[in-house]
Amino acid sequence: MSTAAFEFGPGDFERVATERRTQTLSRPSVSYWQDAWRRLRDNRRALISLWIVIALAFFTLAGPLLWRVDPAAQDLDQVSQAPGLPQVAAIVEPYASWAGLRATPLAAPAGTPATAPTGLSLVEPATTQAVRLAWDPVPGATGYQLYRNIYDPDPDGALGLPVAEILDPAQVSFEDRLDLEPVRYWYSVVPLDATGAEAGEYATLAVDTTRVISAAEAETLGWIEDAGTVAVGDEIVLPYHPFGTDYLGRDMLSRLMYGARVSLFIGVVAPLLFVVVGIVYGSAAGFIGGRVDQLLMRFADFVVALPFLLFMILFKIAFGIGPGESGIFPMLVALVLLAWPATARLVRGQVLQIREEGYIGASQLLGAKTTYLVLRHMIPNTMGVILVTLTFAVPSVIFTEAFLSFIGMGVAPPTPSWGSMSNEGLRTMLTHPHELIFPAIFISVTVLAFNLLGDGLRDALDVRMRGQE
Amino acid sequence: MAEQQTNGITADSPGAAPARDPLSSVAIRQIALLAIAATVGFVLLMAALSWASDLTSSSTTSVGAIDVETGTITLSLTQEPPQLDSTRLTDSVSGMILGHVMEGLLRYDINNQLAPGVAERWDIRTDGATFWLREEARWSDGEPVTAHDFVFAWQTAVDPATASQYAFIFYVFKNAEAINRGELPRETLGARAVGDLELEIEFERPVAYFDKLVAFQTYYPIREDFYLSRDGRYAADAVDLLYNGPFEITVWVHGAHVRLEKNEHYWNRDEISLNVIDFPYITADGNAALNLYRDGQIAVVNGLGAESLDQVLAERWPVRRYSDGSVWFFQINHREEHPTSNYNLRKALQLVNDPGELVYKVIQIPGYTPGESLFPTWLNGQNGLFRQEYPAPTVTPNVALAREHLEQAKRELGVDEIPPIVLLADDTPGASKQAEYYQNRLMQTLGLDIRIDKQIFRQRLAKAEAGEFDLALYGWGPDFDDPLTFGDLFASWNLNNHGEYANADLDAQVRIAQESTDQATRMAAFGRIQEILIEDVAIIPNYERGVLYIQDPRLRGVGRRVVGPDPDYSRAHIVAD
Repeated sequence: MSTAAFEFGPGDFERVATERRTQTLSRPSVSYWQDAWRRLRDNRRALISLWIVIALAFFTLAGPLLWRVDPAAQDLDQVSQAPGLPQVAAIVEPYASWAGLRATPLAAPAGTPATAPTGLSLVEPATTQAVRLAWDPVPGATGYQLYRNIYDPDPDGALGLPVAEILDPAQVSFEDRLDLEPVRYWYSVVPLDATGAEAGEYATLAVDTTRVISAAEAETLGWIEDAGTVAVGDEIVLPYHPFGTDYLGRDMLSRLMYGARVSLFIGVVAPLLFVVVGIVYGSAAGFIGGRVDQLLMRFADFVVALPFLLFMILFKIAFGIGPGESGIFPMLVALVLLAWPATARLVRGQVLQIREEGYIGASQLLGAKTTYLVLRHMIPNTMGVILVTLTFAVPSVIFTEAFLSFIGMGVAPPTPSWGSMSNEGLRTMLTHPHELIFPAIFISVTVLAFNLLGDGLRDALDVRMRGQE
Repeated sequence: MAEQQTNGITADSPGAAPARDPLSSVAIRQIALLAIAATVGFVLLMAALSWASDLTSSSTTSVGAIDVETGTITLSLTQEPPQLDSTRLTDSVSGMILGHVMEGLLRYDINNQLAPGVAERWDIRTDGATFWLREEARWSDGEPVTAHDFVFAWQTAVDPATASQYAFIFYVFKNAEAINRGELPRETLGARAVGDLELEIEFERPVAYFDKLVAFQTYYPIREDFYLSRDGRYAADAVDLLYNGPFEITVWVHGAHVRLEKNEHYWNRDEISLNVIDFPYITADGNAALNLYRDGQIAVVNGLGAESLDQVLAERWPVRRYSDGSVWFFQINHREEHPTSNYNLRKALQLVNDPGELVYKVIQIPGYTPGESLFPTWLNGQNGLFRQEYPAPTVTPNVALAREHLEQAKRELGVDEIPPIVLLADDTPGASKQAEYYQNRLMQTLGLDIRIDKQIFRQRLAKAEAGEFDLALYGWGPDFDDPLTFGDLFASWNLNNHGEYANADLDAQVRIAQESTDQATRMAAFGRIQEILIEDVAIIPNYERGVLYIQDPRLRGVGRRVVGPDPDYSRAHIVAD
């Protein structure tokens, strides 16, 4: 194609309409906060953490409205129960004391060793109310030792717990009421010889107990409306404990919900308060600068050096928190008074940096007042840092609360807190692990969720950190 | 393929690690060097520390729970013995240790019967007693034990300067009470050495149970010249004690280790089979003790908690039990400014208390029995057991009646609500559990607000003495084998009557029990005391304590007893398996 022959004519030129637009927005306008939210949404870990935090808030605030169980109510018939299905109990007559059975002791020729008892049997069906056993007298026995096991004593003769020692040879019966559960027990009877020592021979009986309750008891505990509406032999469903019960039969789910109140309350309120203190202090130091800054920051260093635990104890005494009263308030005060320097340092650093920025100088030249500078430029520009500090402070405070309640400095019984529940669960860690595992999981998940959320927020709010892992 | 510098890690992560810039590889090298240096430094530091700790601790190597060849048994203590000075001692751990290294005039044998100790024979009259000491009794430095050593110890115990809490146990001696009040010099005490081997005692009043009294630990001898030579440090360390019992303390690392070895100067050394009783572990943690037992490090675990029973059953260890003789009850504050001084409130508390539920459902340890009285079931009465001769008045829980009494109490106190009631308890897991049970029980039945005041043992005792409580979970173990050890507890002058209960009728009965030598009269007085305590709700009984323990089957002949040092390993022996 040849171009040399082309000639421009007037028709080729057209007056262009004056266009004042100097730049075009190719995408919709996004504010800083919208951008941050978008970035947070893209961060899957942070988003999941956010949902967990929302779920926790729901669990704490709305949970007790839906699961109306008193966290202090003790269900002594279901102590240390593992999570499981609802339990059913048969209605029986109220407990009546039992005199037991007596028989004439049989003499034995001297030197004959005591034999194993015969006729070991149940006097009446075994229930969780009482197990009543009787046996035939053993010739020459001076008494009997009773054992109970939850495992079969055979083959090695591990008889289990010594539940009773009967020193009267005429007494040939035994009533067991000790912490009976609807399981199989192996009862063993060992006769005592003339010296009071156990003879080697024993008889064992396996007993399956059933869960029962008397109508009057069930009514007292509020499980049925009226004792008259049920008859002996009826079955009632006992209160359901989806997360099991603790060592006093208290509902774990309800205790976890109420415990979350304490943990989350202090976990949110304390950081809010000390972050505010830190912002005011830090921005004052950074903005004024010079000697005042030096003085203020040295004081902050001094506060960092103060021991938290000691102050916690001092406040507890100073506020006259007596025995058996909650230590949450002194804990809050101690946290606020001692934890602000970290925020103050961060804010001061930011303010020092922003103060030297060009736009601040420009604002000042245009006659901006100090208040305007602080409110319009300083605080909004440090907001990202502050929010991040806040989200990182929450888990550390929750952890502090758990620790203090664990060592008994926090809530007073019967108020639960995750820390105190862990402490109580620790004792039964090997036999009833659910009492420790549930509060421990809640502490861990909460702390992790807040940490990951804080991590995501930092990435989202700090543009320079974007994309860096 | 020579140029490909990938290693397994980077090759597995696609897209990672483009070319490393020289700066970061230098940094990585530096960090690696630092890490190696830090690790080496850490290892060296640990080695140095462990070498240093070897220097300070005794160099005993672990021999396991039982060593047949050397006659050594290894055990654990729940706490460091707080006080080994027999004149000041009050707690059971110190009592147990001292019971192995000291011997009084009389002692309890393996069947828990009184047996001659330093005294060979004795004669107890209504106005006094005479003890003849055995010639061969020796201190651990070889010197003979004389009557002067007993007189010196007893004078020191009643001396007001010693401030012994057990000074009252000498009040049967002539002038003892006056000396303890500072009215007479200590030399006027009614105990005198007639020569080296004869001890003459004068009574203030006739006493029916003196032989049982002299087996008590406050009656152990102390040699005067040794006591004075320690210059106020008597019993502060292993070398600051002189021993006349079957064992002597050879190692005492405070808070860590106590070691007892056979005393070669003990007069009855042939009866002692063990050579060493070692306590290299001091821990109050029941789980720690169980783990030590499982690992074969200790021979006995004492006082199993309810939470460890399932584990013990699963391990198929033989479990034994005995009653430690102590009685537990609510000590009630009767001072006027406390709401508990109101009879109707106390009655309401008594009527909602269900010791059976407490023992069977909350404590859950076999061996505990529901409490019905201040006097435990094992006490001997005139012919048989005291509680069979004088049954305790029965109290049946009755919530409706209790509420009536509560309303009456509110009217009398002029309040709409009873103010919060402070419940003082030990900070042990068991006591906390009971306190929380009662907190809920009293809230549920009477609507009472209970504040639990958990304190360590020493602090709990101090608060009880100062009267800073409304209710206190309190236990009392017997000092000597007579109902009086419980009977005089709530006399208005008794220092352990922390609630300041005062009842003229009860005081009169205590006087009768103390002064009469007729057992029938005395037992009748104790029966009346038992009635008053329940009827007037001076205390509310909770339970009698039992102890579950596991013991290495190779260890035999360990004495378990209600009165006196417990457990007693001094006459124990090892059987080879």
